[in-house]
Amino acid sequence: MTTIQRTIRDNGICVLTFDRPNSSANIFDRATLDELREQLDFIENNSQIKGVIFVSAKKSIFIAGLDLKSIGENSSANEVREIIELGQNLFNRIAALKIPTVAAIHGVAVGGGYEISLACDWRIASPDRATKIGLPETKIGLLPAWGGSTRLPRLIGLPKALDIILGGKTVASKLALKLGMIDDIVPAENLVAFAAKKIQQGKPQRKNHWLTNNALVVSVISSRLRPQLFKKTRGHYPAVTKALEVVTKGISKSVFDSLVLERDAIVELVQQDACRNLLRIFFLQERAKKLSVAKIETKPVTRAAVIGAGVMGAGIAQWLSAKNLPIILRDINAEQVAKGMSSIAKIYRDGVKRHTFSKNEARDGLDRIYPAPNEIPLRNVDLVIEAAVENLELKKKIFQRLDAMAGDETILATNTSALPISELAATTRKPERVLGIHFFNPVHRMQLVEIVAAKQTAPEILQRALKFTQQIGKLPVVVKDSPGFLVNRILMPYLIEAGNLFEAGATIENLDEVMLNFGMPMGPMRLIDEVGVDVSLHVAQTLAAHFGDRMKIPAVLGKMMEAKMLGVKNGHGFYLHEKSEEARPNPQVATLVQNQTAAGFSREELQERMVFLMVDEAARCLEEQIVAEPADVDFAMIMGTGFAPFRGGPLRYADSLGAEKIVGAMENLVDRGAEYFAPCNLLKQMASNGKKFYGN
Amino acid sequence: MNDRLVIVDGVRTPFCKMGSDLAPLGADELGRIAVNALLTRTGIDPAIVDEVIFGCVGQPPDAANIARVIALRAGIPKSVPAITVHRNCASGCEAITQAQEKILAGRGSVFIVGGTESMSNYPLLFQQATAEKFSRLSRAKTFGQKLKAFAAFRPKDFQPRIGLQLGLTDPICGLNMGETAEVLAREFGITRQEQDEFALRSHQRAIAAREKLAEEICPIFPNLNFATRNPQSTIVADNGPRENQTLEALAKLKPVFDRKTGSVTAGNSSQITDGAVALLVMSEKRAAELNFKPLGVLTGYAYAGCDPSRMGLGPLFAIAKTNFQIADADLIEINEAFAAQTLAVMRGAQSEKFAREFLRRENPLGEISIEKLNVNGGAIALGHPVGATGARLALTSLKELQRRNAKRALVTLCVGGGQGAALWLERI
Repeated sequence: MTTIQRTIRDNGICVLTFDRPNSSANIFDRATLDELREQLDFIENNSQIKGVIFVSAKKSIFIAGLDLKSIGENSSANEVREIIELGQNLFNRIAALKIPTVAAIHGVAVGGGYEISLACDWRIASPDRATKIGLPETKIGLLPAWGGSTRLPRLIGLPKALDIILGGKTVASKLALKLGMIDDIVPAENLVAFAAKKIQQGKPQRKNHWLTNNALVVSVISSRLRPQLFKKTRGHYPAVTKALEVVTKGISKSVFDSLVLERDAIVELVQQDACRNLLRIFFLQERAKKLSVAKIETKPVTRAAVIGAGVMGAGIAQWLSAKNLPIILRDINAEQVAKGMSSIAKIYRDGVKRHTFSKNEARDGLDRIYPAPNEIPLRNVDLVIEAAVENLELKKKIFQRLDAMAGDETILATNTSALPISELAATTRKPERVLGIHFFNPVHRMQLVEIVAAKQTAPEILQRALKFTQQIGKLPVVVKDSPGFLVNRILMPYLIEAGNLFEAGATIENLDEVMLNFGMPMGPMRLIDEVGVDVSLHVAQTLAAHFGDRMKIPAVLGKMMEAKMLGVKNGHGFYLHEKSEEARPNPQVATLVQNQTAAGFSREELQERMVFLMVDEAARCLEEQIVAEPADVDFAMIMGTGFAPFRGGPLRYADSLGAEKIVGAMENLVDRGAEYFAPCNLLKQMASNGKKFYGN
Repeated sequence: MNDRLVIVDGVRTPFCKMGSDLAPLGADELGRIAVNALLTRTGIDPAIVDEVIFGCVGQPPDAANIARVIALRAGIPKSVPAITVHRNCASGCEAITQAQEKILAGRGSVFIVGGTESMSNYPLLFQQATAEKFSRLSRAKTFGQKLKAFAAFRPKDFQPRIGLQLGLTDPICGLNMGETAEVLAREFGITRQEQDEFALRSHQRAIAAREKLAEEICPIFPNLNFATRNPQSTIVADNGPRENQTLEALAKLKPVFDRKTGSVTAGNSSQITDGAVALLVMSEKRAAELNFKPLGVLTGYAYAGCDPSRMGLGPLFAIAKTNFQIADADLIEINEAFAAQTLAVMRGAQSEKFAREFLRRENPLGEISIEKLNVNGGAIALGHPVGATGARLALTSLKELQRRNAKRALVTLCVGGGQGAALWLERI
């Protein structure tokens, strides 16, 4: 079974069709590269061939690039160097062919898939939505090393190339054409015929980008960009700085020398933890996309209802409607529904501004929402997601009602972030069809969804919910029904400790700055403001009720509630959020707490106290089997909270420090009177036997 | 009996005066909102719908066959066909009766029917001569030709023809609809005072019926076109009925169509309005299979033609063609195109002379009691989105039959171009 099929047409044009057997994608693994070498051997030695067209037989993928497994955890530096060299050499041979070459792109052409196109004389692409072109390598801690960092700046000029490479961007054909990344757009069915025309035109004369690709501009750009990048990455993402270095240095060298730079850089990067952790996340994402809990064929969800048009309900309804599902949006009156509709319309309008949606797509999305201010039949929906106010008694009533209204096949799900789902299930006739489908806020940005299995949930319901999550393009993690489930439970001790430290005299800026430096996308105080002081307090209370000894809610939150400081939603929280300017710390908050002792915490101390509590809680979740394995915890924390991705998650981070160090520091705090730092048994065991969460 | 058409449920948007709350929404959007709400409240699977039939008089140029646009946007499967019907002011009735005829012909058993009109969005048109000049300009190739073509334009070329005005003028007799009402006022001797009193009653009844009418209305929620104006507001009610309407205020208005001697004013004519109505209709048999309890059944209907310059008398000709007598009706809805026109219908119905001369029958049609007529107000207060009104009258009267626990309603409209429509509806 081969991937590359060769056909030679009467006019001497050779078409190489990529069609990886038993797969919906084409990738460059070792075997495919070997096939490509054989094809090039043939083409180079056959003077009858007048031109070459590269094309894919797949529905939605041209070539998705290098098989990342070949540079993953188990490969040595030498193996990485070898496969990079192999690809570089083959692409160089394509670039050196005397006859014209065309990449005829339909579907995803990213990484190596675009780099082989860059080695061709012409690039043409279909206008379809599936067609996405770009170099996303820096997003997974790598850089384009099969000639992308070398050829793209020569093709489209340095500034535009840096934007694509450093941003790890993939773009639609229309934008790719505008940027010069491709030469033409033609319908998918006509790609090969048009490519043949391009071959008739011969080799192209390309623009020389002397105006931007010269030493002066290079030095200005790189001296400008470097501090900007540092500010953004805080030095945690070496791939981006490395890519900048390679592209800017390489531009003044020969192609050959520039390729050497690419190669050395990637070999260096793959040996670093940051890259390894980012690659792991990539694989975990791929795993989540295919995750299954039972070998049961389930029917796709074709119609759903969301109960509650608040922030979460509206967010869920918007996301589902954008994924082509008709959605009933139900709330108790027209005013509540209107609020939801208004925020849905806003998401769509913003999406149009950001080119996420065309105007028609936004209109169609909104058309798919069926607002319901009155009680309505739910016989014909496959799934109901309840997203009402977090109040157990209210939710029980809603579930009883849903149980009566919905068809027998309908899945009843709750989006509660902390309440016990088994209790909700128990109020219904068929508790086996009840489970939690927990989205994160803002729904259209957060990829993670916790699928919460209640005690009673049937495997086929769990499986169907899982498939539904994948159907709507979210990444599921399956968790047990326990207070706070996984993500909120691990996050809460961290937020509580931030509040404790604030009461003990740490400043808002310091607390946030420390965690930004750690690699969080947002500091804890800012996060509380974003989530809402009221919501945070509510989740904290639910958790405190179960884990009281560990999670004692700092008084400041309650006082802020009394003082109506609710966070972003009303402009006052730990920060003042005014529309016109950047948020600045709210001096009022400090006056709410009496005993600010201006204790001098070192930054290291602040960070350790907040992070170690997260690590401990994560370990407890494993102990209690809330999830099956450490990777589930790390994946969920990264996708659900943005936990410093380059660190690989709280447990991976714990491994990098060693349990002994963490337990030592925590016990030290216990000795100083902070009893809630008592580490869990699992951590203590690991400290004594030197074991790690991930093997040894 | 299995093939009778039943109205399972229905809903409409609020009716809002031209240029007011609903002006930013096109007729397709209004229709979509009504069908969307209908599907939500009935909970039916849209895949069982056999066809969508919508009435619309002024179809927007960017939504040809507007019924199809509405159907697709409301989430009716692509495989379900849709047709737009036009019988002027009775287009909404036509949608219902076409569904009945399709049921009888065995061409389906579940239909979504209704009507929609955005009179705010009727286009302004260029005059024919101007259009020719534009076409010459677009064909001009050289600079000289372009200059020449351009120079041919005159200021009067840019005076638009108003689509609404054209639509309300009868192309055969050349009279505006209001002028046909003036004809009836003169011939039936209907005074200005009588017309204004009739108009006042329409407002008073509509105001009193606000809560009842709310039952048939679906709110209009913020959407893409809407929120910029009104970030979170919902439109829940008709804005035509005037709470503080007085006879004195009505009396002050100048006649519009015959400025010197006329009696038809903006105050005693129907309002020009935006709105849409959607009804779920089925064969009686199918509704029973699906366990629905319909609002009512269509037991008879007729359309009839008459003199275009007296189009307001259309209801009399149509009622005469049906198999019921006016006395059979517990409730009567006559569309209030004009107070003068409705009053003329009431007089004609009782006139022996009219019966003999025009209806070729010995006895008059019968008395139309004001107690049974338009009990929740009519188009003078609520407005008359031309394509939608027929379906609105059917819905409003069925809901009122239910409230009164009464049996039978007559819905009738005069139709521009010289026609009448009459529908008989009964509770089951």
